[in-house]
Amino acid sequence: MSDPTNDPVAADDHVAVDVEAAPPAAAPSGLPKRIAQYGAAHWTGRVLVFALPLAYLFGRVFGMTGIWGDGWANSGQGLLADALIIAIAVMGVNLITGYTGQLSIGHAAFFAIGAFVALVLTDGRVTTPFFGADNVWDPGWTIPVAAALCFVVGCVVGLPALRLKGIYLALTTLVMVEAVRSTLKYEKFEGITGGATGIKGDKYTPPEYVFDFFGLKLPTGLDGRSDLNQWMIYLSLGLLLLIMLLVSGLMRSRIGRAMVATRDNELAAEVMGVNLAVIKTVVFGISGAITGVAGALFGLKLGIAEADIPLFGLFGAITFLVAMVVGGAAQNWGPLVGAVFYVFVNDLARSVGENPSESVLGFAFGEDTKLDGLGGVVFGIMLILFARFAPFGAVGSFRLARNRVVQVVPKASAGSLASKSDTGGDAG
Amino acid sequence: MSLFIQRMFDGLAEGSIYALLALALVVIFRSTGQLNFAQGEIGMLCAFCASTMTLAGFPIWLAMLISMAIGFVIAALVERVVVRPIEHRNPGAVIVALIGVFLGINQLSAMFWGVDARNLPSLFPTAADSFFRFPGTSAAIRWERVGIIGVLVVMLVLLYLLFNYTKIGLAMRAVANNQESSNLVGIRVGNILILGWGLAGAIGALAAMLLAPSAGLTGTLMLGPFLLASVAAVLGGLDSPVGAVVGGLLIGLLKAFLIGYVEFLSDMLFPVMLVVLLAVLLLRPAGLFGTEKVERV
Repeated sequence: MSDPTNDPVAADDHVAVDVEAAPPAAAPSGLPKRIAQYGAAHWTGRVLVFALPLAYLFGRVFGMTGIWGDGWANSGQGLLADALIIAIAVMGVNLITGYTGQLSIGHAAFFAIGAFVALVLTDGRVTTPFFGADNVWDPGWTIPVAAALCFVVGCVVGLPALRLKGIYLALTTLVMVEAVRSTLKYEKFEGITGGATGIKGDKYTPPEYVFDFFGLKLPTGLDGRSDLNQWMIYLSLGLLLLIMLLVSGLMRSRIGRAMVATRDNELAAEVMGVNLAVIKTVVFGISGAITGVAGALFGLKLGIAEADIPLFGLFGAITFLVAMVVGGAAQNWGPLVGAVFYVFVNDLARSVGENPSESVLGFAFGEDTKLDGLGGVVFGIMLILFARFAPFGAVGSFRLARNRVVQVVPKASAGSLASKSDTGGDAG
Repeated sequence: MSLFIQRMFDGLAEGSIYALLALALVVIFRSTGQLNFAQGEIGMLCAFCASTMTLAGFPIWLAMLISMAIGFVIAALVERVVVRPIEHRNPGAVIVALIGVFLGINQLSAMFWGVDARNLPSLFPTAADSFFRFPGTSAAIRWERVGIIGVLVVMLVLLYLLFNYTKIGLAMRAVANNQESSNLVGIRVGNILILGWGLAGAIGALAAMLLAPSAGLTGTLMLGPFLLASVAAVLGGLDSPVGAVVGGLLIGLLKAFLIGYVEFLSDMLFPVMLVVLLAVLLLRPAGLFGTEKVERV
């Protein structure tokens, strides 16, 4: 092999030619390298791991009752829409708690604010000079407003975050939930927020087609009728994927690294030049905005905003925490997994709790009792177990388990690595 | 004037309950460095137990004593089974686990006792015409209020004696100060921690059982009081028992006077609390009586 001497440019040229001439051995056919890199067994396993829960969900949601058991399909689509909305809310919690390590039990407040913004605007309760006839907003445009308002609230409450650490922040956010709730119920604001009775808005009429692109149409309802739950599934799935993309980009950026550094060691992060106050405040604002988006979706789906809805209070805050911990803190897919798990297990627990005689619990508690708190007990125990055994949740544990079995190959293809080392150290 | 005194006693009585809860939080925070989120719920569970026992014919004072023992055992179990193993591996996750305990106990009591309100008789005379006449004024104060304040005082004296004049109290103070050194001088730190948590559990149970007769015994009994007690503990300084008592009484008085004198804010207790909390954390993060934490780098 002709030595490229000490000229790095020449060396680079040489490597490039080498790669083209000898493609990596692992790609026998025309498959892209990333797929061909792993064997057929890997992909079969991977498809199975993802396909089985998806198939279950699909049957659960779209009601293949014959296969998946009776009584399952009643509100399946509503449940899936709820799960996706909660997943968005949990994305917000995950940003501040999972990635940045600042425990927030207050995101239910942002959820409530988001829902109220959506309903106040679509109900035409405030005078907005530039938008909409009669101050009645198009539902879709309320979502960015909710995000913006929650960002501002998050930054204002997060401002003292410089001083707040650990349990102090947790406690402050907890008080914030109750504070927001009392404010929403406050009689002096009744004209806007509806006071104690809340707002009952008009039912949101979903568009007929999810998209209508040069004659290529996807109807909102699968059976031709437009259906709110199905539209909310599309809408929140789209927003969830968008937010997941944004968050994964954010985590690769300078800010993302600063967030992780803040979580792992505040002092070291500060010494390395991370401005802790700015990072904590802004991230708290962003995470509030994300949860606010979820709140707006929730309000639009429900058509009601009332300060006493459980998800707007302490219960909601704990719900988001459960979903985050179970799915996986600091995992991009964690919120989705956790939220789907939460919503469907919660529904299962409710149906078992209402009718314990059909299960083993009937023997334990007597057949006539209603087990009101069954789901909560399960989730409480799960919080403890996950905190003890799986701090990175289901997704994190799955990653750990996979890494034991599957060898991790660097993303750069094996061929280019080999040829680089062939040409000698002077090239690098 | 008499109205003022009446409101002051209302505030002090409610504040005494917050002070007891805050005291329980401080006892745990000093030894373990954790905020026990399940404190209020353990108390609520004990109040339900006491209610069930009085239905079975127990006199109220006996039911309360047994329930305090139950609170002791539950809190001790929480320390041993939940907190210690997790703290050993992942200290940051303890608070999540404690929220899990909070949720579990809260829903467990809903499972056993349903969602309807229960009755818990009061320890003090509650007849409509038996009032304590404050000397020199026409203020009439319900005996229950006076009694609750009395319980707080008795509890404080007992704790003072325990911490200052017994060997166990000395060991508890030593562990709160420095676990490693305590271990080296032969104190069994694990047992002392269990004892501290149990003590806090019993105090929390007492607070819940004092509150239940007037507030109505439901699953949400302790949510608000726990939040206010936490604010009180932070206000007074999370590591200061004196601060917890002062903070609790201050919060109780603030609540009573807010409802009594500032009409337009009477429904806005929690927003006011949020402002108080943020102000304390910004201006005096260690609280009124807490010690500034100096971290060695």
